[in-house]
Amino acid sequence: MKRRSITALCLATVVAAAVAATTSGATQKATASNLVVWLQVDAQSSWPDVVAAASQKFQADHPGTKVTVQYQNWGDHLQKFDATLAGGGGPDVIEMGNSEMIKYMAAGAFASLDKSSFDNNATWLGGLAKSGRYGGKTYGVPYYAGSRVVTYRTDLFKKAGITKLPATTAQYVADAAKLFKVDPTKGFSPLYIAGTDWYVAMGFVFDYGGGIATQVSGKWKGLLASRQSIAGLTAYKNFFAAVSRASKTTDEAHPNPYDVYAQGGAASMIGQSWFTCCVGAKYKADTAQFVMPGHLRGQALPGFQGGSDLAVPVTSGDKSLASDWIKDFTSTSSEKALQAKGNIPNATNLLGNSVNERAAARSWFVPSAKHWADVENGNILRNMLQQILTGKLSVKQAAQSASDNITSVLNQP
Amino acid sequence: MSEGTSTTAAAGTLLGTSRRRRRVWGRAAGGAVPYVLIAPVVVVIGVVLGYPLYWLGKLSLEHYTLFELIRHAGTWVGLDNYRSVLSDQIFWHTLLRTVIFTAVNVGLTIVLGMLIALLLVRLSTWVRLLLTSGLVLVWSMPVVVAVQIFYWMTNFQNGVVNSILTKLHVGDFSQHDWYGTTFSQLGMVTLLIVWGALPFVVITLYAALAQVPRDLVEAAEVDGATSFGIFRDITLPIIKPILLILTSLSIIWDFGVFTQPYLLIGQSKITPNNFLMSIYLFEEGYFKSDYGRGAAISLLMVLMVGLLSIVYVRKMVRIGVSE
Repeated sequence: MKRRSITALCLATVVAAAVAATTSGATQKATASNLVVWLQVDAQSSWPDVVAAASQKFQADHPGTKVTVQYQNWGDHLQKFDATLAGGGGPDVIEMGNSEMIKYMAAGAFASLDKSSFDNNATWLGGLAKSGRYGGKTYGVPYYAGSRVVTYRTDLFKKAGITKLPATTAQYVADAAKLFKVDPTKGFSPLYIAGTDWYVAMGFVFDYGGGIATQVSGKWKGLLASRQSIAGLTAYKNFFAAVSRASKTTDEAHPNPYDVYAQGGAASMIGQSWFTCCVGAKYKADTAQFVMPGHLRGQALPGFQGGSDLAVPVTSGDKSLASDWIKDFTSTSSEKALQAKGNIPNATNLLGNSVNERAAARSWFVPSAKHWADVENGNILRNMLQQILTGKLSVKQAAQSASDNITSVLNQP
Repeated sequence: MSEGTSTTAAAGTLLGTSRRRRRVWGRAAGGAVPYVLIAPVVVVIGVVLGYPLYWLGKLSLEHYTLFELIRHAGTWVGLDNYRSVLSDQIFWHTLLRTVIFTAVNVGLTIVLGMLIALLLVRLSTWVRLLLTSGLVLVWSMPVVVAVQIFYWMTNFQNGVVNSILTKLHVGDFSQHDWYGTTFSQLGMVTLLIVWGALPFVVITLYAALAQVPRDLVEAAEVDGATSFGIFRDITLPIIKPILLILTSLSIIWDFGVFTQPYLLIGQSKITPNNFLMSIYLFEEGYFKSDYGRGAAISLLMVLMVGLLSIVYVRKMVRIGVSE
């Protein structure tokens, strides 16, 4: 009896395993009556009403079509997307970071879209529009942009006797010395910058006329070892030493700069304009923002033109419906609603005059190379910054090695 | 009487033939029984291990990136992926680093585990209970949670370790960066792994120590043997099989460890300077979306762990035979 039940159990296991193996392979294709949209959590936490309004408009035009919005995290959305490309069941519309687009466009992961069917397509923000184009076709529709600004404590600046906001990085260094006197606690940063925050560091490189990489007759060439880039990196090293007491080896998410700020560990910080969300109840009233200055008076530090595009994966069941939803979500009224939430709208004719939008005036973007993601994921820039800040290598040595590395990665077949 | 014997004899021959017949049948069936019994296991292993392994092998012989993933079709490239991995400097550096890392981790785990197990034997009951429950608590903590707590304790900005070390006047540890160099990064990972591996090793070795006959030890003591001599000549040979199993299991675990180093060091600090094998595999396969190359690396890893296991299995079989 016992033996029989064990055999039965074994058989049941085998059958169950076999069944599981076959069903897990079965795919759930999105049907025409159900549109699956992947947006990042930012939309869920800050503008769910804009998403709902667009879906409502879409459903009014396409009665009977259900829209399912699934919110994703930046950290793992690409791995999830890769899995759906292999196994099916993926979204009909996906939000992509603008620097993530190129790898997928080159691999043929997206369907090309009719640019003329979207609002304001002639005035789309340059950086965003460029990130959605490949081989002369449009694969990504600009969704919104973000820039990096300084969020600061008005009370501390006042206490330090700073009456005018810094207009150059040199002035910021002088102000930092005053702020150190206001709060001499060890580890306090007048301007908190994480050591390996390459978005800030590359701002210095571009401010001094340098760059990351450029294409010369079809071949990529690293630019970090150029005279201008080295001047920028040296300026970053000196600026960091003068204003920030953050770890020289950590990134801008460990810890979150706004957490340091909320704990009273910083008089100011550089980051996205929505950082004001999380400065803590204690400092909320004494928090304001300004545009990060560059080394020359009257010029902002070039900021990374971050942003998102919306694309239609080739695996989508109904690409024209997907394109229609994107049209509703990026309409002028929808973009204006996004702007009201503190974002930069996707077209120049919609731009206003907020700190965020003024900061976007001077911006830079990563090289549009197929293998750029490998440079980012391989932490080549972060590793270089760590070597520079800890003094493990000279600026020149670190920049040369990173530049060579970038050249070889970008020129992979 | 004679009648009786003849009938019993007849019955005997009758019985004999039927018995012989049954024995023949039994022999045939008996020959199949082990195979029938092992069949479900073979089928299950075939389904859950063989099938994916077949696909992994196939994938490792193909050029398979994001482009091929979308089209669901790789291009056959023969041994190109293996050639490219084996000629990669980073692979050899990573392998050497991983071997040293594994040796240090396994060494620390087994030596410390042995010492704590020996300590457990000598402790009074309630202290032993206290220590054992502490170990079980460590054991029951999920790895990801443990990583978070380690990370939090060794935090640069306001970690409790820096604060305590400073207060104890060990030195000025405020804003000490525990993840500043590769050595320090892997050192922290080692600490976390050994800490997490100790409970299993200690409790298993403690159980093994209970098998050492008391009278043998007492006899040696009477003969004037030192405690180290007793450990070397009596205890060690008896618990050797268990020690071997633990060591080889630890080698297999630590050689392929991923969660602790990846999460504790953090993605933004992972570079070829601190790669371990599994991280190298993950970066090459997933981050670079070069699935074919990733498959080749993982099969090379399987091969290496397989070779280690052969040494261990052969040793185990020899121990079994000699007993």
